[in-house]
Amino acid sequence: MKARSAFSIQKDVIFAIFIREMVTRFSTYTFGNIWLILEPLLMMVLFMVIFGARGRGAYGFVEAPVFIYSAFLSFRLLWNYTMRQNFSAKNGTQSILEYRQVRLFDVFLARSIIEGAIFLVVGIIIALGLVWLGYDPWPHDLLLVLSYCFCLWLFAIAFGILGCMLGSFAREIEKFISLMTMPLMLVSAVIFPMSIVPPQYWPYLTWNPLLHAMELIREAWFERYTSPVADLQYFVAIVLVFLALAMSTYRLTWRRVLAR
Amino acid sequence: MIRFENVSKYYPTRYGPKYVLRDLNVEIPDDRDIAILGANGAGKSTMLRLLGGIDFPSSGKIKSDRFISWPLALSSGMQGKLTGRENVRFICRIHGLEANRDIEEFVKDFSELGDSFELPVSSYSSGMRSKYSFAVSMGFDFDTYLIDEILSVGDAGFKRKCEAAISNKRSTANIILVSHNVDVLKRQCNAAILLAYGRADFYESVDQAIFRYRNL
Repeated sequence: MKARSAFSIQKDVIFAIFIREMVTRFSTYTFGNIWLILEPLLMMVLFMVIFGARGRGAYGFVEAPVFIYSAFLSFRLLWNYTMRQNFSAKNGTQSILEYRQVRLFDVFLARSIIEGAIFLVVGIIIALGLVWLGYDPWPHDLLLVLSYCFCLWLFAIAFGILGCMLGSFAREIEKFISLMTMPLMLVSAVIFPMSIVPPQYWPYLTWNPLLHAMELIREAWFERYTSPVADLQYFVAIVLVFLALAMSTYRLTWRRVLAR
Repeated sequence: MIRFENVSKYYPTRYGPKYVLRDLNVEIPDDRDIAILGANGAGKSTMLRLLGGIDFPSSGKIKSDRFISWPLALSSGMQGKLTGRENVRFICRIHGLEANRDIEEFVKDFSELGDSFELPVSSYSSGMRSKYSFAVSMGFDFDTYLIDEILSVGDAGFKRKCEAAISNKRSTANIILVSHNVDVLKRQCNAAILLAYGRADFYESVDQAIFRYRNL
């Protein structure tokens, strides 16, 4: 055994968990690890067909499937999957926490990296498929879309960590988050843009940081869309607050969470 | 040198804190192999978990400058879905060892698992599992090995092999052994810690500690 710096230990551990997650998640399935990509891919295609083919999502500035693609890719794949994976980070990882160099935080990081990577890979595959079918799925401002997605990813991580830590003390939080998923999609302007919502309802909806993320991504994605409500400052502020909350909650409670 | 400084450990229960260890002050010298003795619930496994860095004292400090293994218990640290080899790879990776082929082959040989080594750990019987966990920990070079009751399972031949391996390791490392098997403790250890009445006493002689332990 040779002594390593804290950073190199963490790097090794995250890499090890990364591989382990990739191997275990679908190891009992017939097609194995292909499901890592296939599952979100199928989900996306399904949504694009049931919403897109009926013309839902055609709001005048882009074809329906591309609209659905941009919305569900960032909401379901990035936000929902990353948040859920972080939230359930304690499930199935008890055995690796038996090693002193493996901490819950490494599980959070490894899972977040996996979800981020799945988001990118599935996004590119579907975009290529859409190009093949004759659509134009590429974002108008790719860098801006990616940086908004990065913020959304950070928000999902922070929310997931916070839920995981607090959920260890009150199991009810798990129930609450499961219940929340569906309504959250409806109030976050996922399947419709805010421009079709009458202005008198805007104040009731714009407290929701996810709505701002969706609108910002949409604005950067489609040249002809300008969001009436998107507020970058508000969204970034909320992300920072949640990150600070998540980090401090982790730091204050991780030993007690481990003992549970 | 591993030093417990005023270490207390309690678990919160609905009846208030339940103390497992209270104000422990023990020094474990580097050249001694320690037997930990105590009745059930006296805090033997907790002590190993504290040493292994996966549980933390409620107050006080544990100081050490040694590479200490993970607490090696029967069902610890193995992911059932992964094969024996994949689990070894995982443990190599978190210990920063990249060229791990040798360790994999060592574990395969030592554990006598043969082809089962390539099957998920969840399919192992408890005897196979204990052989396997033991072999894994012997594949790594630690300064101190924490062994929790693992020597009491397995067939007679393997037990002999285990003890030979431990004796071998003892030339370069020391062990901290929890067991109810007094004979093993007598053979493998040359000092003891007796946990009783919320205290921990260090004994230079294992026989003396065993005598006290039997008369608790």
